[in-house]
Amino acid sequence: MKTNIFKLALIAMITILASCSNDDEMNNELTGTNDLVIEFDNGVNGDDLILGASSYINSNGESLKIDRFNYVVSNFVLIDAEGNEYVYPKNESYFVISEEAGETEVILKDIPARKYTAIKFGIGVDQKKYQQGAEGQGDFLSIAEAHNMMWSWQAGYKFLNFEGQFTSASVTEATNFKVHMGSHGSSLDNYKEVNLDLNTQALVSSELSPIVHLMVDANKVLDGQHKIKLSEKAVVMVDEVKSPQVAENLTGMFLVDHVHNGDASGH
Amino acid sequence: MMNVLQNIKNMGILVLIFFSFQFLAAEDLKDSIPTSPESLHNYEAYFCDACGCASSGGSMGFSTVGDQNFFGTRYIYQQYRSRSGIFNDSPWIDEHFNTLQLWGNIPISEKIKVSAILPFHFHNRDFPDGSAQEISGLGDISVIAFYNLIAPYVDGFLPEQQKALKHSLDAGLGVKMPTGNYKRENNAGSVNPGFQAGTGSWDLIAAASYTMSYNSWGANLNANYTWKTENDQQYEFGDQTNYGLLFYRNFSWVAMEKVVPVSILPFGGIAGEIYAENRNFGQPVQETAGDILFGKLGFEAGYGKLSVGANLMLPITQNLNKGAIEASHRIGFQLNYSL
Repeated sequence: MKTNIFKLALIAMITILASCSNDDEMNNELTGTNDLVIEFDNGVNGDDLILGASSYINSNGESLKIDRFNYVVSNFVLIDAEGNEYVYPKNESYFVISEEAGETEVILKDIPARKYTAIKFGIGVDQKKYQQGAEGQGDFLSIAEAHNMMWSWQAGYKFLNFEGQFTSASVTEATNFKVHMGSHGSSLDNYKEVNLDLNTQALVSSELSPIVHLMVDANKVLDGQHKIKLSEKAVVMVDEVKSPQVAENLTGMFLVDHVHNGDASGH
Repeated sequence: MMNVLQNIKNMGILVLIFFSFQFLAAEDLKDSIPTSPESLHNYEAYFCDACGCASSGGSMGFSTVGDQNFFGTRYIYQQYRSRSGIFNDSPWIDEHFNTLQLWGNIPISEKIKVSAILPFHFHNRDFPDGSAQEISGLGDISVIAFYNLIAPYVDGFLPEQQKALKHSLDAGLGVKMPTGNYKRENNAGSVNPGFQAGTGSWDLIAAASYTMSYNSWGANLNANYTWKTENDQQYEFGDQTNYGLLFYRNFSWVAMEKVVPVSILPFGGIAGEIYAENRNFGQPVQETAGDILFGKLGFEAGYGKLSVGANLMLPITQNLNKGAIEASHRIGFQLNYSL
């Protein structure tokens, strides 16, 4: 008899537990709009990037001390679970990420409530935007200038401003390096796109404001799919061979570390 | 608090006095009394006794290795550290989990007993910038009903009524109630999601414990599983599996002058925990799954109806939150009164 009571209790409890399962309760109830924040957390080779701090050695055998790591990200697109794309308003969709200025967040405002599964963005400024002329750039022109992300209007934007000092087997004295990459006016287009799947869906609603936390690896600038040696050329600017290689390397430097769902203030 | 804990550590832990069984036969005085299998119903009340049931869920396990029915109090200290950032060189946050429990095993019938734990938590952590955070208060109350499937053999007075080899098996079901405070803000960033007073959820616990003894030697194998549900803030801690294997030896005698039973029972073994991934708003939370295996050493000692015990747990292997959380050690002390 006691065994029966025991079994009954077991069944009752499993039933209660099963009825508490709640996976789909809130899925279709996302309404309203909210911010979606993308955090560009800059690191180097798995460590935190601290400008001007100690050097590290990359796989090219060169020792780098990084003093500046600024780049332009743009044209954000959010893709939801059904594959629908939400294109962030183009005029608002240009940002400078600057480690030295401590500006590492992109805040996308008034994002419609949905479950987003992927993000897409550009590195640099696309030709279409550039060809709108200086007046078509809005505030972004002055923002780019303030962060050393312009050569001149004719030469165009720097998409990446990566500077520091290095040594190598052949260059034993600490030597300044500069990697300034951009499109060369309208003659060479180095604008690239990045697609990132989110390992966790980012939930947006009037109550939910997610943070997509990206780990960005500055090492990939020179030590990505293309191996670019500073000992061959310490100043890479408007270089028809190396600049496109740098641009391709940058597409591999973004990694989704995690998505923080909830009220963004709780991150 | 740290000083106190330091002192506790420095004391060298362990060794105290516990008591064994009331039903000692006077004839057995000269020999060490065989362990009654009934004594080792340490079904390891792992159930989230120490903190928020995440990676820090305190599988202190409990070994009232001497006594089936009791009530008492237990103190558990756990030390962890967790990453405050996403990089390999991100600074660590030191976390200290202190738990004081009222606990007991209360017999309901010959075959059924109820085990209950009422925890109070005092947790604190030190951030790399020098700031600190404290949370304290009532934790999640657990209640488990255990049913005795294999009854232990009780020795009689005569030699032919005594057995050297004995065994027993108990299985139980219970609930962990959301009496502890769960605050979403405490789950900030990459920091230990278990820094909570409670999970905020109603959870179901299934547990089983098997004990075998031969004369004064014994072993206990136990396992339990906690199904965790989503709390009212849409956070769900991952299901938790605990297991343990302890070996012990029971030294018991009766203090002649006062005819009081006395026992000392050292034990050692392993205790492990496996965590499934947490979920937040129905979404998996990255890298919250993990596991840890502890080595465990301790003593229980009794005098009359009073017993005390202490144990130390040190990690052998661990992989919590993909290395972003590391357990340092756990210490437990207990003071119980037999019913």
